[in-house]
This record gives sequence, C-alpha cells and structure tokens, in this order.
Amino acid sequence: MTLTQAPPAVVATNLTKVYGHGDAEVHALRGVNVTFATGAFTAIMGPSGSGKSTLMHCLAGLDTATSGTVHIGDVELTGLTDRQLTLLRRERIGFVFQAFNLLPTLTAEQNIRLPLDISARQADQVLLDRVIDTVGLRDRLAHRPTELSGGQQQRVAMARALISKPQVIFADEPTGNLDSRSGAEILSFLRTSVRELGQTIVMVTHDPVAAAYADRVVFLRDGELITEIAAPTPQSVLDTLVKLEA
Amino acid sequence: MLRTAVAGLRAHRLRLLLTSLAIMLGVGFIAGTFVLNDTIQAGFSQRVTADAGKVDVAVLPKDPDGVLSEKIVERIRAVEGVTEAQGLIREPAPLVGKDGKVVGSVPTTAVSIVRGPLDRTAIVSGSGPGTDDQAAVLDENTAKAQKFQIGDTITVLDGKQAEHRFKLVGLLDPGVDQQLAYTGVVGFTTATAQRMTGAKGYREIDVAGQAAGLKQAVAAAAGGGAVVKTGDELAADLADAAGFEMRTLTVGLLMFGAVAMMVAALVIYNTFGILVAQRTREMALLRCIGATRGQVFGSIVLESVVVGLVASAFGLVIGYGLAALALAVLGAFDVQLPTDAAVTLAPATIAIGLAVGLVVTVCAALLPARSATRVRPVAALRTQVAEQTYRTGVMRWVFAVLFLLAGMGTTGFGVWGMPPGEPPTLIVVMAGGALTFLAVLILGPVLVKPLSAAVGWIPARLFGVPGRLAVDNSARNPTRAATTTVALTIGVTLMTLISVLSASTRVTVWTKLDEQFPVDYMLATQGREGGVPRSVAEGLRGKPELASVLQVRKTPTKVDGRSYDIGTYRGAVTPEVVSGAMAGLSAGEVALLDYAAKELGVTVGDTVRARTDLAGTVPLRVVAVLNGTNSTLPALTVGEQPFDTYFDRLPDSVVMINIRDGVPAEQTRAMVEAAIAAHPTVQLASSTEIRGQFDETLDMLFMIITGLLGLAILISLLGIANTLSLSVHERTRESALLRALGLTRPQLRRMLSIEALVLGLIGALVGVVLGGVFGWAAVMAMLDGAVLSVPVPQIVLFVVLSGAAGVLAAVLPARRAARASIVGALATG
Ligand SMILES: Nc1ncnc2c1ncn2[C@@H]1O[C@H](COP(=O)(O)OP(=O)(O)O)[C@@H](O)[C@H]1O
Ligand SMILES: [Mg+2]
Repeated sequence: MTLTQAPPAVVATNLTKVYGHGDAEVHALRGVNVTFATGAFTAIMGPSGSGKSTLMHCLAGLDTATSGTVHIGDVELTGLTDRQLTLLRRERIGFVFQAFNLLPTLTAEQNIRLPLDISARQADQVLLDRVIDTVGLRDRLAHRPTELSGGQQQRVAMARALISKPQVIFADEPTGNLDSRSGAEILSFLRTSVRELGQTIVMVTHDPVAAAYADRVVFLRDGELITEIAAPTPQSVLDTLVKLEA
Repeated sequence: MLRTAVAGLRAHRLRLLLTSLAIMLGVGFIAGTFVLNDTIQAGFSQRVTADAGKVDVAVLPKDPDGVLSEKIVERIRAVEGVTEAQGLIREPAPLVGKDGKVVGSVPTTAVSIVRGPLDRTAIVSGSGPGTDDQAAVLDENTAKAQKFQIGDTITVLDGKQAEHRFKLVGLLDPGVDQQLAYTGVVGFTTATAQRMTGAKGYREIDVAGQAAGLKQAVAAAAGGGAVVKTGDELAADLADAAGFEMRTLTVGLLMFGAVAMMVAALVIYNTFGILVAQRTREMALLRCIGATRGQVFGSIVLESVVVGLVASAFGLVIGYGLAALALAVLGAFDVQLPTDAAVTLAPATIAIGLAVGLVVTVCAALLPARSATRVRPVAALRTQVAEQTYRTGVMRWVFAVLFLLAGMGTTGFGVWGMPPGEPPTLIVVMAGGALTFLAVLILGPVLVKPLSAAVGWIPARLFGVPGRLAVDNSARNPTRAATTTVALTIGVTLMTLISVLSASTRVTVWTKLDEQFPVDYMLATQGREGGVPRSVAEGLRGKPELASVLQVRKTPTKVDGRSYDIGTYRGAVTPEVVSGAMAGLSAGEVALLDYAAKELGVTVGDTVRARTDLAGTVPLRVVAVLNGTNSTLPALTVGEQPFDTYFDRLPDSVVMINIRDGVPAEQTRAMVEAAIAAHPTVQLASSTEIRGQFDETLDMLFMIITGLLGLAILISLLGIANTLSLSVHERTRESALLRALGLTRPQLRRMLSIEALVLGLIGALVGVVLGGVFGWAAVMAMLDGAVLSVPVPQIVLFVVLSGAAGVLAAVLPARRAARASIVGALATG
C-alpha cells in the first residue's frame, strides 16, 4: 500500500445501498468501508453485478447511499441537497464513463472545456496545453465526437476530467468499449496523470490487465469488500479473482 | 404485425397523447362547427314549419320589389276551396324613439297583423292589435333597446313624415326573418298599416283552403305577375333564406378548421418521424427476424390509423361540447339565432369528423412510415445512433427557388397587374402567398441553422453553457426543427396578415372618411330619404360657435339621356377645379364633376341639357369641371337661385357643419340637436362617432379572427412541446452526462426553455415576415387607394408571445428532463 502524508481523497464508511422494496429488494452494497488515498490510482474489481458501479455512483455523489457516509476530502456527502451535490461534482470530481462521454454537438475542445464553462471558470492555459499534449489530441481539437475514434473519444473524456483539477476522477470501465491497444493507451494516460500531475483516480473495471495499471486493487463481491492487493500484476489480480469466485 | 403496432402504441402512449390532442382539437373544431350549424338550421326549420302549417298556399310578387293588388286577393278568395285569403303589408314606417328621433339608420318595417287562422305572428307578451286601429305591437329587441313597455304610447311617422301615436299592446318575435330583425318591426291592423305606409298593395298573400289542385287554381287566379308556393315550399325557402348567414359563417369557420388541421398534420408528421427515428433499432430488429418492408410500413400506418380514429372520436365529443357551449353563450347573449333546437351529432358530422381526422393522421404518417422501411437490418447491431448530418440537396434548392419565384411573381402580378378591390385579385395574391409558403416549407431545414444562430445570439451569451447548448440543440436536427416551427409559422403568418390588414383598413377608411366627411357634424335624414328642412341650416348659419354651415341639395335627373344627380349648395365649398372657373354660377351655367363630363363627352364651353321639374328641359353651359373623387357636390352643380326655378324649393339633402376651433364639442352638439329636435327624421352624425362605430366593428372582427387562429397556434404549441419531449427522451444520456459534470437542475431546465424559446422565435419571425409581406399584398389587392399601416407594437407582441408560449410549452418536458435520475439515465443502453 502506498502511504502518503496527505489526508485521504475519498472515505466511505459502512456504505449500504438497497434497490427496490420487499421481494424485489436488492442489496447492492452491504456495509462497504474503503479509503482512497490522495494521489493514488485505485482499481475496484469484482464480478459483474458485484456492486462496482453502485459503489462508484455513491462515492461520486451521483446517487445517494441507503446508509453510511462518504467523504470527498473534508466534505461529507450525506445530507447534501441535489444542488450542493451538483456543485461538489462540478468543483471536485471528474468523470470518465464507459461510453457516451461526450456531447455530440460540441467539438473536442469544447467538450474538454465543458466543466470549466459550466462553472464559469477560466481555463488554466498551461494546464490545458499540457493535458492536450499528454493525451495527444492537438490536431483533433476542432473535430466533433462522431469524427473521432472510440479511443480518441475516451482521451477527450480524460482530458476533460483532468482540466478542472478535480480532487478525484472516477472512471467506470473506461476501456470497456475499446480495443486492447487503445485501452492500453488510456490506461497509461491514467497512470501518467497520477504520477506526473498528482491526480487521484478511482477506476472500476473487471479486466485484470486494466486493474494491474493501478497502485492498488480492491475486490468486491455481492456488495461487500472482500480483499485488496497493492502493486498488482495481471497475474496476481487474476489469482485473487479466481480465489474470490471459488 | 398488429401485435407490434399495438405494443408500439402502448410504449409511446404518452408521446402519442400530445399528437392525439392536436387531432382532437382540430376535429373538435370542425365537428363543433357542423353541430352548431345543424342545430341552428334545425331551429330555423322548426320555427318556419310551425308557421307554414297554417298556410296552404302563399302568393308572392314575381318582382321582389313589386306588390300584389287588392283585386288579386279578391280573385283568390273567389277560388273554389279557398276558405280564407289575407294580404300582408310590409313597408317602411319610421318609429320615433324616446329622444324624439327616428330609430336606427334605416326605417322600422311596418307589417299588417291579420286575424284568424292565417295569423302567423308570434306575440310573446301582451296581445296583437286585434281590430284596434289605435294599437300597435313592436318586436322585443326594438322595445328593449328603446325602453318601451306595453301600455306606453309610441310614435310612428307616416309616408308624409306626420307623427301618429299608438298604444303599445304587445311584443312580437320577428322569428327567422333576418331582414325584420335588422330593421325592427312595428305591427298594426291591416287598415292602419295601409294608412301609415301608403302601401299600394301586398307583399304576400296567404291562402288557407282544402281542395285538390288548389295551388294551380290560386296561381291561375293570381295571374302572371305572381309566384305561388305551397306552405311547405314557403317554409323551406324561409328557412333557407334565414340560414344563409349561418351557412356563410360555417364556411368561414371551416376555413379556420382547415388551418388547424393543417397545423395538426405537421405536428403528426413530426411526431411519427421522431418516433420512427427513435425506434430505428426496433425496426431493424424486426427486419432481422424476418419482417418484410411492407410489414414494417404496415405497422406504422396501423399505428396512425388507431391514433387517428381514437383522437377523432374524442374530437367528436369535444366538438359536441364546444357546440353546446357556443349555443349556451349565444343564447345567453340574446343573439338573433334559434339556439333552442336539440344539439345532435348528425351521422354526417360523425362521418366527416372521423374521415378528416383519419385521413389527415394517416397521410401525415405515410412519409415517416416510408422512411421506417428504409432502415436496414444491420442498424440493429449498431450501438450509437449517428448524429443527424443534414445536407441540402440541389433539388431542394431548385424546387425552393422555383416556388419562391412563382409565388413572388404571382403576388406581384396580383398587386401591380390587376385592379384592386376585386375578388380575383385577392385570390391571385393569396395563391402567390401559398406558393411562397411552400418555398419556405421546402427551405425550412436550410433556414433553421442561421436563424437559430441569429435568434440565439443573445441567449447564448446571456445564459452561459445552458444557453449555448440550447441554441446548438435547437438546430441540431434541422428537419425536425423546421417542421416544428413551421407549424407555428402558419398561425403567426395569418395573425400578422390579419393585423396588417385590419390596421391598414382602419387607416385607409379614416383617410377616406377625412376626405369624404371633412366636417364635424353632418345632418341628413334616415336612409337619406326626404330632406332636412332649409330652416334648420338657416337657423344654425351665423351662430358664433360654428365655423361653417354648408347646405347641399340634390335630386336625380336625366341629362342627355343619362341619370345623374343635379343640385346646388349654399355655404363655402372649395372644390378642386380641373378646368374652367366656378366663381358664382349664374342661370344657365353648370359645373360638372369630371366623370360626368367624361361620360357626357363635354368640356368647358359645351352645353348639356338637363330635365327639370318646373322649367322642362334646360340647356346648361359648362363653366367648370371639378375633381369628382370624394366630392361633396353632385354630378351637376348649378346656382342656388336657378336650382329653385328648376325644382320646387327642395329641402337640403345634407347639411355639413364645422365647429369653430376651441369651442367645446358638447356645447355645439347640444345646439345642433336643438335645431333638429322638431324634425324626427333628421339625424345627426359626427365624424368621431362614425369612426368609433367603424373602429368597434373592426376591433370585434379582429378579435374574433385572432381567437379562431388561436386554435392553430395552440396546436402548434402542442407540437413544440411534443418535439421537445421527444428530444428530451432522445437526449436522456446527454442530460445525465451534463448533470454528472455539474449542470444543476435549474440549468438543465433553462437549457430546454431556451431551446423552446429559440424555436418559438424562429417560427414567429418567419411568420411575421411572411405575414407582413402578404398582409401588404392583401391590402394592395383588397383596398382601392390603400394606405399601408404596419402595427409594429402588435407584431412585436406576437413575436414576444410566441417566444413565451414556446417557453411555456417546454415546462413539462423540462421538468421531466430535470427530474430524471443521473444514474438511471447513464445505465440506459
Ligand atoms: N437501479 C437499480 N435498480 C435495481 N437494482 C439495481 C439497480 N442498479 C443496480 N442494481 C443491482 O445492484 C447490483 C449491483 O449492480 P452494479 O453496481 O451495476 O454492478 P456492477 O457494476 O458490479 O456490474 C446488481 O445486482 C444490479 O442488478
Ligand atoms: Mg457496472
């Protein structure tokens, strides 16, 4: 485990999430306790339906947990109004989704600047240039999403997540729709931004290779945090998964 | 396929509801119009049938202005089988109101009220005059308006303007006779009616009797100058005549219904188009598992059939309700229409309503259904729907330019190449309008982008990201946006056209009024018959409060075989002299208006021969030719003294009075009223009153038309709401993404409001431009000597209201979009 002096970026305590009522009740999260360190790249793994996306949505303030608390930095999410949550996402959180990350009407550059425009902030030109060069999109800035490949679209989404210097970026299966080469590219960028920009990233994935790019992997099963490994390799992740499913 | 169609309907029932509403309103309006007409016509029939039952044969003069003599009545009475025959008198006899002035702008009609089985008068209170020659009855409305009650004494003028007093014994209902309802009725015994009107004969002879071939026998007795009808024929004719206005009104209302249906068709076309686009994958899947193109096409058409039928059926119910409501309102306002017949939904109305709704819905769905058949099976396998990229085909441009040129050319020809004021001119201009509108319809998708950028310029800057995205979104799917806005454009175009037309009519009429009526007061007799005694003007002349008093006398005569008015004047006139000079006309001299001079082929120095009452045919030398446009003088003007030697001291035809500047109007009005108090038939008109009455009529008409167009606008707003809610549905994931990135709920709502605002404004702006241009063209086509007036504030108001209405239409879709959970939306595949 990577130890840092800085306080943790995200802390979840006794997080539970129940969907539906009565017979249709689904316990998606059953008391999850987890901490994500600042400046670390953490992967959340688990079989399909284990509650990875639910956990991420609750951590990111997209959904409210049934019980338990979530802290983003020093802010506790429990009890925040929709408006407060929205402003929190705007200021402190970046997102990369599996698909449909970009607004089709906007160009790549406009999509990248979107979070800044929404919060009416000025772009940090140095950071902007650096981010654009990091993801290698300089010659694609005027293109619209339909004119970009899937990998390029995900890179735009990454650039967009980085540009507002969020406290944490949540990525839900960011490589799920990509071929392995583009996927590897994206994962390298994620790791680079953690190493070089000090960005905190939490990534949901079910791909052991992807998880191996992270500093640390936490494993979910049936809504519970089962185990975690530090400095993972594809093999160690796979071994852990096999053990989990056994 | 039936099952998939039904499933499709179920799945989209909310979205189809708005569409159905458009059809329901359109069909409701049309059906309502029919129900209203049917009910009122039935009312007319009921009334006349009851009356006509009493008459077995009716005899009318062949010439509508002619009369039947007493001799004919006697001859008919002698016909075998005739038990009774009565002549009916129906001639003008002015009623004098409580103010001592004759009532209304036309004289009241005096009718004879017969007794016995042939009495068709509907006395609603009191009794008929019976045999009392000193008794009279009035129609309810006149009595009410003039505040006469049974037992009062009323004054009626005879043919020589002498006053006669009668005791008011009862009130009658003029029934279906629109003419009588308009003039008002005073009923007398036959003898009194004869004495009061000096009638030379009867307008109708009613016959009762029982014999085979009675009609032929009566016809033989009546002779060649008469038309003979059975009671049933008479009833049918009366009902027909009475219902004429209602039928005209029905046709007018149906035109508004047609506009509403056209707008509804656009809304349906758009809805089905969007639904088909959204169901591309579903269609493709059907094709994958083996559905043929025909089956896909059929399932969409089937959906439209169900929607059309269900909506039309509800529309019929709405129509029935609307008609019942309209009848209740009309009844409450004491309108001169029978509103008491049973309100029924005739089979014809049901058939027409269903057919119109069904045909419009299905036709509007045909194109979308066809595009559904073009979906290829592989589309089922694609995950993301490609963003619409719109390219303008060459053909589109060619057609648009052709239509535009044809439309503008036709309109231009109508405006500049045809005589104004004639129906064909207006038809040509409106045809040009329709062609131009088609051009706009074709070009709509091309126009949407630049227009939305222009209209959205301010919102995009004012509202940050939501504003910018909204403006982008509004033009994102140009075809869809164009169809949505064109629906609104139709309504706004017509509104603007009507408001330009009414404002221009107002100004044109005012200008003409100022030219023709350049005075403060005008005195003339009711219906311009008889004259104003000379003493009236003489008494007013020289009063210090008055600036001028002009008397004009005239009488019809024959000049060199043609009919003209000849006359004279006393007072100051400044006619526009075209040639010659008009300084004091002495005996044997005449001034001619230009058109008369032209028709007679004479110029200054020539002589014309005019027939006179006292001096036979006199030769008159033309000393001046005057401009005849809006002249207060007659065609031939001679000197005042000579005129009296030609005709026997005629009274003034009109007296025109101008107030001295600074004198209060009430003071002079009282003075002028006092001067005519002793002459009941002399009526006072003031230019402000005439203008006021005209304005009132015009305003009323404008309000009614605007109200009726409101329906089309309402339907187009449903269209905007529909398009937006469908777009919201389409962009669920986009909205979720924006929310995740930090767009607040109010911002998301605002985004949709701005999109609707932009759509509304585009529709309104195009409508205002089209309406302005064709309003101008219509003014030029309809009014001779038109003065164009563009009611800018009103038009600005239309634009603002359209924008506001668009925002209103966005309220529900925006609420839905903002309420959606982010996580749920992100999850939807
Ligand atoms: N909106 C929802 N309503 C009901 N059940 C849900 C909902 N979202 C997720 N679930 C259930 O919660 C569990 C966890 O889902 P999710 O977090 O999406 O798993 P993962 O992302 O690991 O595949 C699953 O059993 C899923 O069916
Ligand atoms: Mg998931």
